[in-house]
Amino acid sequence: MLSQNSLLKRTWPMVVQCAEAHRKPRWVPVAKSKVFRVPKRPVVSEEERLELLRLHNNYKTQMRAIRRFYHEEMIKEKQTRESASSEMSQRLEAEEWARCVELNEKWNAQVAIEREERRKVEVNQLETYALKRMQAVDEKRVQAIAKASEEIKRQKELSSTFITPENLEAAIDHALANPTDYNFAIDLKGNKYLGRDTQITKPKEAASSASATA
Amino acid sequence: MSLPPASGTGRYFARAAKSIRLIRQGCTNRPFFHISVTHRRRLNSQPVIEQLGSYDPMPNINNEKLVALNLERIKYWLGQGAHVTNPVAELLGLSGFFPIHPRSYMTAWRNRRTERENLAKLEEQKAKEATTAS
Repeated sequence: MLSQNSLLKRTWPMVVQCAEAHRKPRWVPVAKSKVFRVPKRPVVSEEERLELLRLHNNYKTQMRAIRRFYHEEMIKEKQTRESASSEMSQRLEAEEWARCVELNEKWNAQVAIEREERRKVEVNQLETYALKRMQAVDEKRVQAIAKASEEIKRQKELSSTFITPENLEAAIDHALANPTDYNFAIDLKGNKYLGRDTQITKPKEAASSASATA
Repeated sequence: MSLPPASGTGRYFARAAKSIRLIRQGCTNRPFFHISVTHRRRLNSQPVIEQLGSYDPMPNINNEKLVALNLERIKYWLGQGAHVTNPVAELLGLSGFFPIHPRSYMTAWRNRRTERENLAKLEEQKAKEATTAS
């Protein structure tokens, strides 16, 4: 019984296309018309056969040599890899390491110089930026102080008209003596009539005059 | 869908016999082959161990059949004892990596022979026409 997991884990598709799907099945017999057919054998002349035999023998011999060569090379390579921990190779490795370290230090020194220069430039930039910001803040504060002093001056000038406990009575009397009415009315033409109790006579007159002329 | 990597995705068994063979990758009426190393008993439709090259059997506009070979890896796999199928051996022979395969010689001389016969037939026909005309 196949498990679900094995189906999911399969390495190639389950439906493998068969190359001979178009052939007839094995259990189907030879067709009636082909029962007595004898397939024609390929004719290879004796001369050609001998030549091919010779060529194949040569080829096989050469191929054997080539195969052996590559196999021995593989074995040799493996041996060299295994003997890589010998004294000679260790010394060579140490020299290589020393050279690499030297080169690396040289590069590091160069990079350090470059970094120092870059840092100086960056610090300068930072300082100028900070100074600019500080100046801007100072300027803002000075402006704010000036604005505030102006305001104070204005308020001081206005303070002569303020109502204080001393002149409160006088102000009340003044207000009662001069009542102000903010109510008003507007007619269709946009004329404004101030006051609540104002007598409106003008429009009537205008209308009567208009009718008289008509 | 992306192509599988040339390093192959097939399972690898060190002790099993390998074979370097052509694996058809084209579509209908457009053959194209990968030269791949795979287990000898594995089907061509299954994932290979490694692709070693490619072969385009259809001549391009310059009348060339292009073959790409990774000779270093082929050397490696030969060292591992991989078998080489006949078509691949022929290609390698023509590329100069192996000796020329006997089958290449055979097809060459057979082609030459048919050409010679065709020429003889043509000449015969011409001679016949000349005699009838005269």
